[in-house]
Amino acid sequence: MSELKDCSPLKYYDFKPVDHVRLCPRYTAVLGRSEDDGIGSGELDTLQLELETLLSSASRRLRALEEQRQILTDWQDKKGDKRFLKMGKDPDPAATPRHKPKKQKLDGKGAHGQGPGPGRPKSKNLQPKVQEYEFTDDPQDIPCTPKNDAPNRFWASVEPYCADITNEEIRLLEELLKPLEDEAEYFKIPALGKHYSQRWAQEDLLEEQREGARANDKKKGIMGGPLSELDAKDVDSLLKKSESQHESQEDGCPFGPLTQRLLQALVEENIISPMEDSPIPDISGKDADGAGTSPRSQGKAFRLAKEEMHKQGLRQRVRVADNEVMEGFRRIMAARQKKRTPTKKEKDQAWKALKERESILKLLDS
Amino acid sequence: MSADTKIAELLTELHQLIKQTQEERSRSEHNLLNIQKTHERMQTENKTSPYYRTKLRGLYTTAKADAEAECSILRRALDKIAEIKSLQEERRIAAKSARVQSDNDPPRKTMRRGVLMTLLQQSAMTLPLWIGKPGESPPPLCGAIPASSDYVAKQGDKVAARVKVVDGDEQWILAEVVSYSHSTNKYEVDDIDEEGKERHTLSRRRIIPLPQWKANPETDPEALFSKDQLVLALYPQTTCFYRALIHTPPHRVSHAPQASNPTSSVVQCQTRTRTLLVLCQKSSSSFGSEKNTSE
Repeated sequence: MSELKDCSPLKYYDFKPVDHVRLCPRYTAVLGRSEDDGIGSGELDTLQLELETLLSSASRRLRALEEQRQILTDWQDKKGDKRFLKMGKDPDPAATPRHKPKKQKLDGKGAHGQGPGPGRPKSKNLQPKVQEYEFTDDPQDIPCTPKNDAPNRFWASVEPYCADITNEEIRLLEELLKPLEDEAEYFKIPALGKHYSQRWAQEDLLEEQREGARANDKKKGIMGGPLSELDAKDVDSLLKKSESQHESQEDGCPFGPLTQRLLQALVEENIISPMEDSPIPDISGKDADGAGTSPRSQGKAFRLAKEEMHKQGLRQRVRVADNEVMEGFRRIMAARQKKRTPTKKEKDQAWKALKERESILKLLDS
Repeated sequence: MSADTKIAELLTELHQLIKQTQEERSRSEHNLLNIQKTHERMQTENKTSPYYRTKLRGLYTTAKADAEAECSILRRALDKIAEIKSLQEERRIAAKSARVQSDNDPPRKTMRRGVLMTLLQQSAMTLPLWIGKPGESPPPLCGAIPASSDYVAKQGDKVAARVKVVDGDEQWILAEVVSYSHSTNKYEVDDIDEEGKERHTLSRRRIIPLPQWKANPETDPEALFSKDQLVLALYPQTTCFYRALIHTPPHRVSHAPQASNPTSSVVQCQTRTRTLLVLCQKSSSSFGSEKNTSE
């Protein structure tokens, strides 16, 4: 946004005033006359036209000036408050200082916290030289990112991978592992149903009927309305009946339930090999094969997560133990400095801390 | 006559205003030059530091104040001209009604056709130009903007009037309002071309007031007729209106006195190809009932 060439919205209008000598001769002539000569009433028309020319040019100039001034003001405010969401509407440069935005925390560039300050022309001279220099450089800068953001961004991106495991994540894994109870429903293969070409043909037929009914409606008007509705309803119900009759028959297999049973029995006796897109609906259930992953791999993730949590707990304890050891060490050093031997209590404390730490570490390693 | 002295006074005042205008303009020239220099520097050296921007803003503010002052004086001068013209108009109307009333005076020589036409063209050309202040929109009777529904034309206003011609035909003529009666809702109008035409008494529906301002195509294009709009247009050397379709709206206000079509629009008639003066828009209702419009 602050790229110089891109964002200079100023139009450098040519504000040249009207050359009245050339364009308004009568006006110029009148100017030259003395009071006594005055204006003749016949000259009024030409004067009117010339004055109108001057006025319309001045009017246009006024509008352009106002527009450009507003652009400048907005631009000024935009530059000063780069991080603000709303554009500064306040054209008065001496306005009370704006509140620092919360967003500033996210930007690493602390130096620019003073940005709004140097933006005001009045305070410009008061600011220390360094900041003024920085600000005038701004237009040349590439957008307002702080100088050295890379490490922040790196750690931000890596964070999800290195963070501690939380209980929530464990819960998620558990849920995943839970075998689905009502899986049986998913294993039922639904009937094939009517072939799509036939279904579409039927729907088209219905559609045409409805349109015919509608056309009839328009012709008959209100009187015919209820009648054609009834007709349509009758037709619909008739169609539905015939459909249902058909469907039960085309339910996957045109041969009827008895045939299915026979075929299944034969397959079980290994007399007939099962056909590929078999008309026999598969009644038997499948083994619990939740979510397409093998149970082994799922459990592994879960187990690892639990282990990791346990280890995290241990590590936490190690950290605490470390602190205690450090405490003990400091006490002994202090005692040595004071040129007295450390008391038994201090020595015991130190040893205890050390031993604790070692035991935790052993646990961790196992 | 007091009207003459008054007019003379006003002319003197106008003279002063014009001189003041020029003073104002020369005063503000210096600032405009500064702006130009700053523009050049900013553009060639590509410096838009805050220093320059603030400087420019200051210059703009000054220039804006100057422009406002200049506009205000110019408006006063134009108002003064309008005042003088209305006084002259009043004088003319007074003389005319005096003429009509007194039968003793010898009949005035009726104006020759050519003179009348020149006068008409002149008055069309010097229809004041509407230059609105920022934010103002053009008023009714500016260019193509119709009059408000309760508008009553005043004595001396020019209108288009639908009158019955001798052979039963109806025609839109250019007429001048004499009076309006609120009780009967009827206008009394005189044909502009005074050659023996009688005074007409017509209902409001047969009267369309003509525009009182020109519209500036650069600032108020919405007040112009658009291409292919059906309008009533006046032939340059006649006083009758004919139906026409807009061919090309104007791009800028032309002030050259030699222009043959100085007012709002250039029009090409449906059947003929000469350019016409457009002065008003037909009202669709009154046209619907017309059957024999000569074209």
